[in-house]
Amino acid sequence: MTKEINETKVIESPWDLTTYQWKIESDALSLFVKGLKDKKILGRKCPKCGTVYVPGPTYCRKCFIDIDQIVEVGQEGVLDAFTVNLSDIKGNPLEHPYITCTVKLDGSDSYLLGILEGWTDWKSVKEGMRVKAVFKDLTQGALSDLSHFELIK
Amino acid sequence: MKRNVAIISVGYNGRFVSKRPDINIPELIQPAVANAISKTKLKPEQIDAYVVGNMHTFEGVNQPHLWASDHFGGAGKPVMRIATGGTTGASVFQAAYYHVASGLYDVVMAIGWEKHDEGDAQVGLMGILLPEAFSMFNFGPDMSGERGIAGLGGGGSTGGAAFQAMSYLTKANAGIEHIDRIAALMRSNAAKNPYAHLQQPGCTEADIAKTPIISYPLRYGHTCPTSCGAIALILASEEKAKKFGITDRVAWVKGLGSGSSDAATGNIIEGQITDPAEQYMCKVVAKKVYAMAGIKDPKKEIQVAEVYSGFSHQDLMWPERLGLVDEGKSPEMLDKGAFAIDGELPLNPSGGVTSTNAIGASAMVRVGEAALQVMGLAEGGHQVPRKVENAVAHGWGGLFQFVTVTVLGRTPVKK
Amino acid sequence: MNERVAIVGYKQTKHTFDSPVARERMIYELVKALFAELGITRDDIDTFILASNDFTDGRTISEVFTVPRIGAYMKDETKVESDGLSAALYAYMRILSGLYETALVVGFSMAGSEFRAPLIQSYTLDPVYERPRGIINYYSIAALQANAYMRKYKFTEEDLAQLTVKNLENANNNPYAARKEENPSIDKVLGSKPLYLPIRQAHVSAYADGACAVILSSKKMAKKFTNKPVWIDGVGHFMDTYYIGDRDLLAMEHLSAAAKKAYKMAGIKNPKKEIDLAEIHTNFSSEEPVFAEAMGLFKPGSGKDVVKNGESRIDGALPINPSGGPLGANPINATGLIRLAEASAQLRNEAGKNQVKGAKTAVVHAQDGPGAQLNTVFVVRR
Repeated sequence: MTKEINETKVIESPWDLTTYQWKIESDALSLFVKGLKDKKILGRKCPKCGTVYVPGPTYCRKCFIDIDQIVEVGQEGVLDAFTVNLSDIKGNPLEHPYITCTVKLDGSDSYLLGILEGWTDWKSVKEGMRVKAVFKDLTQGALSDLSHFELIK
Repeated sequence: MKRNVAIISVGYNGRFVSKRPDINIPELIQPAVANAISKTKLKPEQIDAYVVGNMHTFEGVNQPHLWASDHFGGAGKPVMRIATGGTTGASVFQAAYYHVASGLYDVVMAIGWEKHDEGDAQVGLMGILLPEAFSMFNFGPDMSGERGIAGLGGGGSTGGAAFQAMSYLTKANAGIEHIDRIAALMRSNAAKNPYAHLQQPGCTEADIAKTPIISYPLRYGHTCPTSCGAIALILASEEKAKKFGITDRVAWVKGLGSGSSDAATGNIIEGQITDPAEQYMCKVVAKKVYAMAGIKDPKKEIQVAEVYSGFSHQDLMWPERLGLVDEGKSPEMLDKGAFAIDGELPLNPSGGVTSTNAIGASAMVRVGEAALQVMGLAEGGHQVPRKVENAVAHGWGGLFQFVTVTVLGRTPVKK
Repeated sequence: MNERVAIVGYKQTKHTFDSPVARERMIYELVKALFAELGITRDDIDTFILASNDFTDGRTISEVFTVPRIGAYMKDETKVESDGLSAALYAYMRILSGLYETALVVGFSMAGSEFRAPLIQSYTLDPVYERPRGIINYYSIAALQANAYMRKYKFTEEDLAQLTVKNLENANNNPYAARKEENPSIDKVLGSKPLYLPIRQAHVSAYADGACAVILSSKKMAKKFTNKPVWIDGVGHFMDTYYIGDRDLLAMEHLSAAAKKAYKMAGIKNPKKEIDLAEIHTNFSSEEPVFAEAMGLFKPGSGKDVVKNGESRIDGALPINPSGGPLGANPINATGLIRLAEASAQLRNEAGKNQVKGAKTAVVHAQDGPGAQLNTVFVVRR
């Protein structure tokens, strides 16, 4: 039924994402960066189930209630899942591999994303190691204030 | 009294491939529909209703089933569209099940497809978080060099999957070599499936280990392709299954369920409170579905599993979360050959998603392949060589938080 | 299996053209308020069904962050990527099967502030023929249909304006409507900006930010929620062909078929007599006479008489869109569900200033696709 195709026409038609003007609920991030300015890590705790969310939204997804109890969590915590970035997006090996990790800070029920430093051989890094949050010297109330997590020796 | 529903036919449009520049979306779907019908005694007009779905942002056509109306037979018929991210195919199938189980319709077709060559999959995937990412720009993330980009989604181009893989390996005390091993099994299984995309007969662990690591512990060889293809399933009531099935071989839907839990990784907006390898919801849904299917000991009573793994480590993880294998024991099962097509728990005899991934179809392909196994109709050498009483089909999607589980069997659940 | 399913709770947002909150907060507040009103928690709901669309949400897998906001965290949920009434239809099927007893259906979009509806609707057109051709869009299809109706049945622009005014007056009395027009009049409608004649700006539905939540329950669980259940007695849905040239925009035979199926299931033999009101999903007021007639509510071609005699007014023989319909608020994915909520309010005598006296049986309609390619019809009764 299909006859020989001599020519394929390609018609371009973009899904233009600039046609949208999204509204974003930013309670969680606003609080988070406010804390970062003061070199603190802030989240919200649900008074009913006790879950500490960092960044902390103003509702608890488990209990389905509004929450606004602001808590500060510890600056040290446990290294959870992480990954070692060895190639770039095209597959070329990186000269300096880097580690992106998730960390559960003491007192938090949430895993924060960040860069891991303080290691020399990535093969020796293991889940469960203790880390500490490291801030930039000069903070401005931005996500970049939280520079990285560092392995505690 | 609940109504028994069976899958009486599975149809593909052909082999899944990277590109089909010679056809458009409706033309991709049509052969799958025709193929499914040809394996029954049905005339196209005898299909009572259709349920369709794909991830339409990947092609940039909103609700393409509207355009494809004449090509799949939906013009003049009841049609419903379902879409739930990676689990779309399974959600579409489950909706088709309810069309029949409700008593409103007797013969319903479920169709899933994707035509990845018509869009940029990376753009589509980025689109999941784009507004949130934009909002983060307002909060001053570090955009300098690679560190900044990593701060947004983590894990390079594998996204959160690399985290999940690392966490799984830690929990299971396994190594990257296990991921290499199971990836090789999938590609060589795919070589026995005439419809699979990436077929590598005799693929070995060494072949996979040659591919570069993107983000440890995931290599290129561990990631799914983007494929073009379509699948159609025909579901029928007990009476119509007898009337329209060609043989008495059908796959009864014994249990099904879905669940949504935490967006894990990428949920920098509202707090990520689970480790991505926990997948608690998968355990909950699987338990519920087994109970519905009358299965007391899934380890003994399930003969085949088709699980949805976008990345090879998930082929180790899902059997554990689905209760088919004890926690942390998949590497052992793999090493002793239990997951092979002729093993004690054949896993993805079709080659799985790491061999073929047309997103809107993939979760339905798991159901379709499980059905073929139950019916003994899998072609090309990937039919498991034993009687399949029960098979489980699993789907996964979103930011690691959506899950679907379906159990199919040779006989319906006793009422 | 369950034999009867009812609407046991419903709520809609005060729709706006620019919501003060993001979609997540909007649907969270709505569902919370509905639960509070009924004295239930999210554990009383067996399954959650969303009606939303990646294209209207402007993100892939748009439900990633909205699922927990409707109470479905760690729950059974799915998404119908179509109109809200289709989602209610799916919930109905789930309960009929006997595998679930209760369902929450939530439809929403930010069609007022986050995107321009016509632009997003254009993505529904196929990229091979209609999109590059650039002639067909939702507006021009409505214009073709309106022209055909007006020419065949001598329905004039004044008649259409009068019908539009009827809806705008109803919307003014509807506390949830986004569009409020001071002293709507035929002259104002006739003087509004022409788009694709006879379609003018005044005829276009009010694309808005909004959401609607409806709870369905099996008969045996209904008492837990309400002592005023609204029974779903009939359903029908059909899809037409895509190509406009192959469709009869006046006959709307697939809408007709959907309505007939719903009426048959509900045991309705004479809809004109047995239906007390209709809530119809019109994207343009010109669709109203066409759809109402296709649904057997008025004689074909009787539009002029219906308007002159006020038959479709709230105090008329067969009120159409006593809520004002989508002309008052059209949050796209929510609109079909809003029609169901409005009809339920009517049957429970909770429709305030828009109340149709003695309403016992209603027909509800929703459309999806260009020119109402897909139609869903429910018949509900008290």
